[in-house]
Amino acid sequence: MKEILKKGLWENHPIFRQLLGMCPTLAVTTSALNGLSMGLAVTFVLIFSSLVVSLIRKIVPPQVRIAVYTIIIATFVTLADVFLKAQFPQISKALGPYVPLIVVNCIILGRAEAFASRNTPLRAIVDSLGMSLGFIWGLLVLGSLREILGNGSIFGVTILGPYFERWVVMILPAGAFLVLGFLVAFMNFLEKRKLNAIRPPSLKLRRTVLRSFSEGGR
Amino acid sequence: MRELFLIFISAVLVNNFVLTYFLGICPFLGVSSHYESAIGMGFAVVFVMSLASSICWIIYHIVLAHFNLIILEYVVFILVIASLVQMVEMFIRKYSPSLYESLGIYLPLITTNCAILGLALFMIIRDYNFIQSVVFGFSCGLGFSLVLVMMAGIREELKFSDMPEVFKGAAITLITAGVLALAFMGFSGLISS
Amino acid sequence: MKYLKIILVLTSVSVFSAGILSLADLISKEKILENQAKAVNEAIAAIVPEAERIEEEEHIYRVFDKKSRLLGYIFLAEGQGYQGKIKMICGISPSLDKLLGIEILESQETPGLGARIAEGGFKDQFKGLNVLNPITYLKSKPTEDSQIQAITGATVSSRSVVSIINNRVEEIRKILK
Repeated sequence: MKEILKKGLWENHPIFRQLLGMCPTLAVTTSALNGLSMGLAVTFVLIFSSLVVSLIRKIVPPQVRIAVYTIIIATFVTLADVFLKAQFPQISKALGPYVPLIVVNCIILGRAEAFASRNTPLRAIVDSLGMSLGFIWGLLVLGSLREILGNGSIFGVTILGPYFERWVVMILPAGAFLVLGFLVAFMNFLEKRKLNAIRPPSLKLRRTVLRSFSEGGR
Repeated sequence: MRELFLIFISAVLVNNFVLTYFLGICPFLGVSSHYESAIGMGFAVVFVMSLASSICWIIYHIVLAHFNLIILEYVVFILVIASLVQMVEMFIRKYSPSLYESLGIYLPLITTNCAILGLALFMIIRDYNFIQSVVFGFSCGLGFSLVLVMMAGIREELKFSDMPEVFKGAAITLITAGVLALAFMGFSGLISS
Repeated sequence: MKYLKIILVLTSVSVFSAGILSLADLISKEKILENQAKAVNEAIAAIVPEAERIEEEEHIYRVFDKKSRLLGYIFLAEGQGYQGKIKMICGISPSLDKLLGIEILESQETPGLGARIAEGGFKDQFKGLNVLNPITYLKSKPTEDSQIQAITGATVSSRSVVSIINNRVEEIRKILK
């Protein structure tokens, strides 16, 4: 169980590792609040659709499974959309068409196909919880970074005073690509440092072996 | 006529689907490493988008809005798109094997392409009429393919350039896309009145 | 038999989905309409704070104060912005020469740039603006009473707002005259 959770939060992080669900990731992270709301909406859809997919996994004929999963996902997305419209009209307006676009978010269909359709309901829920939490923190980091750089604020509270020249491009679409690009590179850097810390001797060994080979060749 | 032209310019250059709305990012990152596959994917998307926009428009305005079933919009749209792609695939396989050779493998990928669903949603939000929707669908597909092919061209060059290890792969692709988006911002002056 | 099962599963899933959604629609419809009405009312209150009584005729709202004096006319205006439709509410004085103010109801403008048309700094410029002649926009500080300053970096959005208002004011004037 713990392993499943950890996979979503770090090892198979949906945004930074698998590069899934890119469209909402980039589009709605103009502010930390928008990122968080999108994360929560995805969490709702992911957990419930995984649960249902896992519950009916034995009765769905394999030929039509994708169609069935899609209907289930679209149903929960509509529910989330209606709920936001009724209870949080401001957030619903800010996220706009990106709420219905959760339907085609590859994370959800991906988890339904790769995990929920093969595991018990409990494991499916834990897996979606891990993935959603990973997705939420990814969106939060991206949204906060862009809001701080582009608007000098976080969650709408100005933290960088008037002396800060707002870096408007970071809120624009181009900024989304740039910030995410550097974040992915940073994640790669962390991963690489971890790998290096574990096996410097083997690397050294390999180099000596290589050198002896090339010298021997001469 | 003028309005249609504006929709065209806006969808291809100014408000490009990939670079301003982030729709179709998955294939944009996935299929853009080779020039030729990018062109194949581009054609498939233009084709499916033009078809999808007209069919979704008809279904929305003639069936859903008419019978007060707008709540089913998302479920119906995604099913229509999925079956449309499937039908196009079968049709092409039967009647034009050569076209199937070149487009076939990209067609299933299109179903999960958020650009198609995005297209349907946007044309409803913007209240386009039938002709406008079809033009919009075609132009969005064209805009998508344009950026996809440009990106593939850049990435083929990138393979031979020297860069820090950590930037290789997705990171540099995203940053390149960012620079491309910056460049496309220059088109925003095209629509002025 | 196999096909029967396929058809059965697909149909029942679709029926279930349609059922749940219709239920959700039934429950939430009123609340959503209420929200929209609330947004309009709040916007009217922001433009004419003294408003006491509102009468509607052909989508133009006449706003009266406590003593039943006409304070102005409120109307909806919408048009194409930079990225999508901009929908707003405007107020005009009874003599049809000055704007009372505007409120943005819906817009899909770029967050942080074009979306700032909904912020005080921009929209408050329209309070008391002379609309006998079409409004014009400047990139610097306005010098006349029918000019506003566009948002830096969001000229297209600012221009869209100005032209939507100009068109609609002209229409309104024709209707009310």
